[in-house]
Amino acid sequence: MEQSLRLTVKPQWDEIENARIEVGAYLQSQGLMRDAVHSLTMVISELIENGIKYGSFTGPEDAIAVDIHRNGDTTTVEVINPLNIKDKAARNHLTKLDKTIQWIRGYQDPFEAYVEKLKEVSRRPLKDEESGLGLVRIAYEGKSILDFFVSEEGSLNVSAVSHFRGDNHEKD
Amino acid sequence: MYPETNNAHAHDLQMDLVTASNEVIPIFGKRASKYSLWIRFSNGHKFKDGEEFAKLIVPVNGDSAKLGPCRLLSEPNIDGYAGRITFIDDFFDFDNLLSNHKIVKLQSEFLNLPMVLAHKDNITREFKDYTSNLNYDCNVYKNLFDKLDLEYQGEPEDVKKLVQRAIIDSEGKTFLRFIDENLQKLEKIVKNFSKEEHERHGFYLRKQLWNIIMCSAFMARTNLKPRGYSGDSEMMRMIYANEYEGFSTFSKLLNKHPLNQPAAQAVRNRRIIVAGKLNEIKNSRQYHADGKCRVLSVACGPAFELKDIFVSPDDCDAFHFTLLDQDKSALLEASVLVDQIEKSLGRALETKYLNESVRTMLVTSDLHEKWGRFDFIYSMGLFDYLTPPVAAAVLKKLYQLLAPGGEMVIGNYHVSNSNRYYMEYWLDWVLYYRSDSEFKALLGDAPGAHMDVTFDDTGVQMFLDVKKNRANA
Ligand SMILES: Nc1ncnc2c1ncn2[C@@H]1O[C@H](COP(=O)(O)OP(=O)(O)O)[C@@H](O)[C@H]1O
Ligand SMILES: [Mg+2]
Repeated sequence: MEQSLRLTVKPQWDEIENARIEVGAYLQSQGLMRDAVHSLTMVISELIENGIKYGSFTGPEDAIAVDIHRNGDTTTVEVINPLNIKDKAARNHLTKLDKTIQWIRGYQDPFEAYVEKLKEVSRRPLKDEESGLGLVRIAYEGKSILDFFVSEEGSLNVSAVSHFRGDNHEKD
Repeated sequence: MYPETNNAHAHDLQMDLVTASNEVIPIFGKRASKYSLWIRFSNGHKFKDGEEFAKLIVPVNGDSAKLGPCRLLSEPNIDGYAGRITFIDDFFDFDNLLSNHKIVKLQSEFLNLPMVLAHKDNITREFKDYTSNLNYDCNVYKNLFDKLDLEYQGEPEDVKKLVQRAIIDSEGKTFLRFIDENLQKLEKIVKNFSKEEHERHGFYLRKQLWNIIMCSAFMARTNLKPRGYSGDSEMMRMIYANEYEGFSTFSKLLNKHPLNQPAAQAVRNRRIIVAGKLNEIKNSRQYHADGKCRVLSVACGPAFELKDIFVSPDDCDAFHFTLLDQDKSALLEASVLVDQIEKSLGRALETKYLNESVRTMLVTSDLHEKWGRFDFIYSMGLFDYLTPPVAAAVLKKLYQLLAPGGEMVIGNYHVSNSNRYYMEYWLDWVLYYRSDSEFKALLGDAPGAHMDVTFDDTGVQMFLDVKKNRANA
């Protein structure tokens, strides 16, 4: 049976916390174990954070869309942000996103990508949000397969697919 | 004209040294080596050789990096530098710092040491025994084959070849069977693992067998991924060649083994199947009437199948080919192949090259106006890397690009791939596997679509065949 949740998140930092709460409640209602809820909430907040940081927001109606569907043991998270493909900086980020995701997925064990990234010691004062660890954490700690595409409407869809069992499965 | 020294100072950056008593000394510095910096003092300061400083402050990307204690190695030189600065405890890498604005310590590998060491903690006893025995046995085999190689090393080239051939056909076969048996054991041990358990155990196996794996040119490449992704054109070439490549008998055998598997045969099969489809189209009268058949190959790679499609000069008039790939070097290889075909057939091919990623091409909403519509679209070795949200979006877009009456054939490895664990554990090659119904579901109910799922002879390579009604624009 397919179950889903759709949220609209305004591109403001304090919105992430609200989204986390809502997502956590939804995932719990889906019978996911605590660890899984924890991992998935982290995945979603990293993706929203990236959406806020790298999305192109022009009007007050521009927002981030979060879609979560559960189908059997598979959870698919999609985070969609507007993107101005004509803007050079946005295109550079897209290239970096593409490279990073392909690089992470080149390892069977995302732990290897995680360890590589950790080596690039980041210094405190350099804006803390730019750890460069978001995507590798999604893959390693969040146990998710990352992918992305740019849709016809010019928005960026970054997704994370994972397999967590609900507790209803533990019984059979 | 500028004085000579100014040129030498062209790449100098303003930096500061901080003394133990917190005095800030302005300096100019530039890269001397990966772990040292040429410096000159801007205010005529003089320090003795070996002088230690508490900090070096380097500008990075509009910010500044405060790096640890360092020392002056006095080495006055012709360009006016007083000497080199090098670190005392933590050695920071100036290449990464100055070019990539990343702070990387020489010793930072060690920071992760506890994590990497702990990564083996959840490996099952059974798996540890398995890899340890496998490693031992592989090394015994390797030593034997290496010893044999030494025995006939002095023979003339053609004698050497014959001897090696004989060894490959006898003892070599035994070794290949030994690998087969161990792969069966592997499957038994890991088949109920979760994704995370597979990942950890695969990592463990590769760490244990690394020296063995590196003997095989093919496996070395799938592990190291020099172009940043699996399935690059060189890997494809190796799969098509299916040879005993390598410097020793052992490496030849280990190179051949994965290429002999159904998953590799499936790559060879799909090339023939695609060429067969296109030959069918060429022979059907339909396209002769409508002019050239417009073909799109998505994630074309080096497009080796063109060799099987263009065999006579007439073939050149039958098709218009558009080749799309994210990798420029793969497109370049395809264009070299097209040139070769044109030369040997004495006829021009109509081809167009698109350097695009399927993940970003969707942004162009009027793609069909820009590229035209296609009578035949095929994509092999792409969907194996796309997760469902992306695969669905790409497939729908490709369907839009299909002309009424057109057909597309999309490949994907089936979940039942018996080489899955071999690929993941030994080759570090992970695919997104699908079942028939998952594959079909990607397109949803697109108007006018007739879908069919077929398989190659190995049963590993699955094809989604979609035909578009003539009435659907
Ligand atoms: N939603 C997005 N839009 C565009 N680029 C993105 C997006 N998410 C990530 N990226 C690119 O991928 C890089 C890596 O992301 P991440 O691992 O989260 O690190 P960080 O956010 O700390 O830079 C980012 O620096 C950015 O260039
Ligand atoms: Mg981030």
